[in-house]
Formats: sequence, C-alpha cells, structure tokens
Amino acid sequence: MNLKVLTVTLNPALDREMFIDDFQVNRLHRILRSDRSILSPGGKGVNVSVALANFGVPSVATGFLGGYMGRILIEELRRTSNLITTNFVFIKGETRENIAIIDEKNHTITEINSPGPLIEDIDLDHLMRRYTMSLSRVELVVISGSVPESLGSDVYVKLVRVAREKGKTVFMEVRDRHISTLYENDALPDVIKPDFRMEYRLLRKSLETTDDFIEQAKKLIERGSKLVVLSYQVDKDLIVTSDGVWLIKPKVGVEISHILGTGDTYMAAMVYRYLSGIRDMLDVGRFGYIAALAKTKKAKKKPPSLQEIEEFSDKYILERVI
Amino acid sequence: MKVSDVMVYDISAVFEDDTVERAVDIMERHVVSGVPVVDEDMRVVGFVTEADIMRASIPSYFTLLQSASFLPDTDQFMKNVLKIRDHKVSEYMSKPPIVVKADSTLIYTADLMMRHNIKTIPVVDDEGRLIGIVTKIGILKAALKGELE
Repeated sequence: MNLKVLTVTLNPALDREMFIDDFQVNRLHRILRSDRSILSPGGKGVNVSVALANFGVPSVATGFLGGYMGRILIEELRRTSNLITTNFVFIKGETRENIAIIDEKNHTITEINSPGPLIEDIDLDHLMRRYTMSLSRVELVVISGSVPESLGSDVYVKLVRVAREKGKTVFMEVRDRHISTLYENDALPDVIKPDFRMEYRLLRKSLETTDDFIEQAKKLIERGSKLVVLSYQVDKDLIVTSDGVWLIKPKVGVEISHILGTGDTYMAAMVYRYLSGIRDMLDVGRFGYIAALAKTKKAKKKPPSLQEIEEFSDKYILERVI
Repeated sequence: MKVSDVMVYDISAVFEDDTVERAVDIMERHVVSGVPVVDEDMRVVGFVTEADIMRASIPSYFTLLQSASFLPDTDQFMKNVLKIRDHKVSEYMSKPPIVVKADSTLIYTADLMMRHNIKTIPVVDDEGRLIGIVTKIGILKAALKGELE
C-alpha cells in the first residue's frame, strides 16, 4: 500500500461531541440518546487522516499519544479505517480531551480544548526519527493543530525543514504564532490555512479590513508559499496564490453549529485534489472550500464523501478581488 | 484469508540503537510484550520482547532450570537489569526477524507463531519495510468466525 500522505498531530485529542438543544451554562443537561454524545479520535492532523480515508487516500498518522485517552484514541482510529496506518510515539503523560457542545436549535457551538501533556526531549527525538523515516514513503505531509506547551513553535520549523530536505510538499493549518515563527525562519510550507478560531491575526498583525487579510497573505506568497486560504468570515474565504486573490462564498445557507471539523475537511480535500495531479492552486483551494461547504450539511464531525462534495460543486460564488 | 484482513496497521517500533530501557518504556506505554526493531529505512531487522530482556538479565543456569524457585535472591537479576539498561536493544533482539507479507495466508502465519512460540509477527512490504503487525489474537478472532481459510 502506497501511503501517499503523512499527517502530523503533535497534540491529538479525544473529541467528545455533545448535542444539547437550548444549552445554557450553570444548568443540568441530560443527554438521553447515545448518538447525541459521540467520542472520536481528534486533533487536526488525525481528522485529516480520517477525511482522507473517507476519500480513499491511505495515510500514516504520527504525533504524540499517552495514557488511557491515548489508547482509546488509537483504538478508535484503527477501527475507523485500514487506510490509516498509525505511527504515534507514546509518552508518559495523558492525551487531552476536547469537548464540543453543539446546540442546533440556537445555532451555536461551544468548544473547550485542553492544553495537552508535557513532552520529554527523548520522545521528541524519537518522533523526529520516526517522522523522517515515514517521510521517505509518502508524497506529501500535513502538519496541523496546536503544539503542546512544552515544545513551542521551533518544532514546526524542524518538521518543515526536514520535509523540504526530502523534497516533500507541505500543507499546514496552524495558529499565527507558529506561522510567524515559520516565516521568520524561512521555513514556510507550500500551502497554509491559518487557524483563526482564536483570533484574526497573521504575521503578528491583527486583521480587520479585507486589505489587511490580503496584504499579510501576500507576504506568505512572496516568501514561497503557493497557496494561502483565509477564513475571512464564517462562510466566506479568501484564496490567495501567486496569480491573484479570490473571494469565495456560498450560494446556500451555512449552519453555524455544524462547522466542527470543516477546517480539517477543507485541508483533506485540498490534499486530495493536489494528489490527483492538479497544480492550479486556485482549483486546489476551491475544491477545499466546496468540501467544507458539504461538511456543514452534516451535524457530526464525520467528513463528507466525494459524492456529497460533488453535490456542492455549483453551490458557491467565486469573485476575483485582485 | 490473508494477513492484510486481520493485521493492525501500526508501525510503532524501536531503532537498533535504542537502549534496553527505552524499549521497555515503549512496550509498557503501548501495553505490548514486544516490538519490531527497525533500521533508518524502516526495514525490520529484529524483534525484541520483554522475555528477551528478562532472559538477558537472569543467570544463565536459570534458563536451564526453568523455575524462579532456584534463584537464591533477586539481587543478581536486579544487577543484571541495571547492567544492560543502557545497552543497545539490537544486542538482545531476536534476529533474523520472523516476518510475513500482507498477502501471506493466516494458516501459514498461525503455523509460524506456533512453531516459534510467538504472539506477534511484523508485516513487511517487498522491501522488508514495516507496514504493520499481526497478532495471535487477530488470527484467533478470524478462526472463531470460521474465516481462517
């Protein structure tokens, strides 16, 4: 089996999705149906592996796991698909648990994400060796998500540099503090999707106007990235390549409470498109957007199928900005 | 049925130059009794188990007697474990490794396990690179469903 993709999740999580209508703080909520409280393997890279398996793309998932939560996560991941090969380094600490409370009635989603365990140097060294070893067997690497506090952004610089040395294409979805470090160390990936869930910030600058978004994204392109995808508003994105800037928005309504996992579907769909031989980066970004749009029709984190994505292929508007 | 139908697609392993202590840590954290040993190209070069480490840590006459009741005390064992703690795992692994391919039959794999008295066999590709493992329990589950053939 040609593994094709390596996904890196330094801070995986066991995701708990709870569907609670009229959710309120400081109140007891009882969940009466088992399908309203779902446990699944999580963390951005892990989710990308799951979505890729849904598209029929084999991948190897690496990162750190630990303790009871880590063992549940890996068992669940193995049950998900044989197209996912696991290659995690087990650490002393405990893998975190993330909670999402989805209120479909009021169209809200409340997320609580834990920080993650301590990573020892010996485990990081082991991960780097296994990462380097796995890279030789894949075409592309996806590095996504948060970094355990004990590591810092430097680890991403190392991962990108090793991938580059081996001539691999790198896709990343991370927060600005990591993107800024990568930028300052001349270690930018080929495709960047900034994670704006906490704040609209890019290259250490707060983004307020459309021009702010474009100006900062162009700096990434000038420094070598081929595609930057920016979640401009909840359902509108900017696609920035060396050929121009486009605004992409939906023709259909988007259910806000269903956005959990859309970013990872977006990333997986871009990877799928790229692996199919497409090198027009606007096309790659557009396909990611369509897949994310298809995901918002699903309440649960489960990614859409290729057929479901196809049904959304004319449900968007693309406008050239520059 | 083929190995690919029941194998675990996991490529957790230790490197030849990892220490005995590191290998024991990894086995403990993964809750397994043995792990494949790989080179830098991910080729399987051996397999190390907790039994290999135990065997290396006890006086040689103990293996002949096959009973702990003949050990005068645990001091010797403790001293030997500490002595080999920082040694390379490659010194104690079983080699050449017993491996199977993803398209090997379960009957052949079960036969290997019984003949060599092992619970886990690394699964490799045509270049000998690790692609997963097959366990005795995986084969037993297939047998219980009547799917061994």
